[in-house]
Amino acid sequence: MGEAARQPLKPLSPAVRVGRFLQPWIRRLVLWLFALWCLFPIYWLFTMSLKRQVDAISRKPKFIFEPIWDNYVKVLGSGEVWLYFQNSLIVALGTTALSLLLGVPTAYVLARYRFTGNADFGFWILTTRMTPPVAMLIPFFVVYIRSGLFDTHLGLILAHTAITISIVVWLMKGFFEDLPKELEEAAFMDGATGYQAFRQICLPVTLPGIAAVAILTFLFSWNEFLFSLVLADRVQTVPVGLYNFVGYQQIRWGELTASAVIMLTPVLLFVFVFQRQLVRGLTLGAIK
Amino acid sequence: MNSSAGRDRRRFVLLMLTPATVLLLGLTLVPFLVSLAFSFSNLSLVTPDDFAYIWFENFGRMFESPEFWNAVRITVVFTIAAVAVELVLGVGIAALLHNETRAVPALRLIYLLPLAITPVAAVFTFRIMLNPSLGVFNYLLKQIGLPPQDWLGTPGMALTTLVAVDAWQWTPFILLIAAGGLAAMDEEPLEAAQMDGAGPFEIFFHHTLPMLYPYLAVAVVFRSIDAFKTFDIIFVLTGGGPGIATRTLNLLAYKQGLEFLEMGYAAAIAIVMLIMTIIFSQVFLRRINMFRPKAAL
Repeated sequence: MGEAARQPLKPLSPAVRVGRFLQPWIRRLVLWLFALWCLFPIYWLFTMSLKRQVDAISRKPKFIFEPIWDNYVKVLGSGEVWLYFQNSLIVALGTTALSLLLGVPTAYVLARYRFTGNADFGFWILTTRMTPPVAMLIPFFVVYIRSGLFDTHLGLILAHTAITISIVVWLMKGFFEDLPKELEEAAFMDGATGYQAFRQICLPVTLPGIAAVAILTFLFSWNEFLFSLVLADRVQTVPVGLYNFVGYQQIRWGELTASAVIMLTPVLLFVFVFQRQLVRGLTLGAIK
Repeated sequence: MNSSAGRDRRRFVLLMLTPATVLLLGLTLVPFLVSLAFSFSNLSLVTPDDFAYIWFENFGRMFESPEFWNAVRITVVFTIAAVAVELVLGVGIAALLHNETRAVPALRLIYLLPLAITPVAAVFTFRIMLNPSLGVFNYLLKQIGLPPQDWLGTPGMALTTLVAVDAWQWTPFILLIAAGGLAAMDEEPLEAAQMDGAGPFEIFFHHTLPMLYPYLAVAVVFRSIDAFKTFDIIFVLTGGGPGIATRTLNLLAYKQGLEFLEMGYAAAIAIVMLIMTIIFSQVFLRRINMFRPKAAL
């Protein structure tokens, strides 16, 4: 969020008190120390992508070395990484779209309508995330082989959606619950149907929430490993493809880390786009 | 409300719930029933022809094995420690970030990196960074005159390191949800409290934090569910070792199922894990009263 976007919130200053009990410089120090903690392993991964295999695992970790681009040239030249990228993009975008499409309406009804079994239904959605993958994989595999979903994008999208839909429902439920119900009541007065109240009144207001949930869903799907490994063969997603660099004999550090760095770019782009969406939604909220 | 409106209402609710229900029933109920059936059988891929239902024998054998109870203890310790660290760090940093005015987009992007990088690459990078003789962590310790550590070599240290790596990867998740909650927060009660002369600490703990609870509850439930079945970090970094010091239930199930090929026993472990998770989340969610719709129409 940029300076300009935050500005309108400023005059309301008490909210800004949330963390005000620290001096600004201490606050800034803590924030940047945490950033360092997040960044250091990524930085190390990045340096390894610029090293030769011998330097990557040398006895004395090298901070200063002559960077080489061979790993990137090799990875980008082989073309495989593009396939992983394509597969992951299709699967992650498909999963995000499908999870939101199915999950958001469910969340809205759970948050807003009283009906028998509301709580139990919500809990059942939650249990779908609880089963350990070890128990799910073999039945999934058998069903997928029989139904022709094995080794298809659609198959992976469905499997990932089954994993992510619970989190979409539960997070969005929280956002909908926070809306004042006068919003919809006013719409009903004007003769709106339940669907119109949802689609035209509640959905736009919860846009920042939807953006945050979309980012999470995308990341979960983009990084999912186990199901993607077992339920597909030629349709390799990024994590599965990268795992190919981990051999029994040795790990090809340069190619592994270079691919990881390359694959970080589209994710950051996606986050960036949705972050703008998030800011737009927030400022809308401030005007309201 | 007249009956036609009631019917419309019911139809609307049904229409909104059906698609997700169909998908989830199809994709999760069948695998669940199959593994429930497995857990009552002696299915082993070594001797698939001897298949028979042995009912509760798997469970009896499990409850008598010290390996199982050791795994339960480690899984619970790991889950609680990891989620506690992630919750405190995530909420604390989100609160500080909410107040910050400089370089916020950059910070937010950096905080998301551990969640965004391909875990396979990150976890293997951690393995080399933690290596006692080649690793950069011990190198840095030596530079500032501290003794090197055997990060993954001793039981207590190994579990601590695993918690730290899990916290590295997943604190951003809690941070993201807490930041979303803070952004959506209604600020009037805070203003009122400040007028009444409440200090910043009081406002944070008595007003801000309680308003964040619904969001944090969801974050904690999901993180606990996932931490409870953590696999990749433990598998790559310690493989459950040294000895069985970091062998969680999920690793035990993996070992029984995919190494010893005893699918029946592995499925029984998975079912017990599922029951433990269900009990925990039921108790937790009831306790914090998450089930009632707050403003029902």
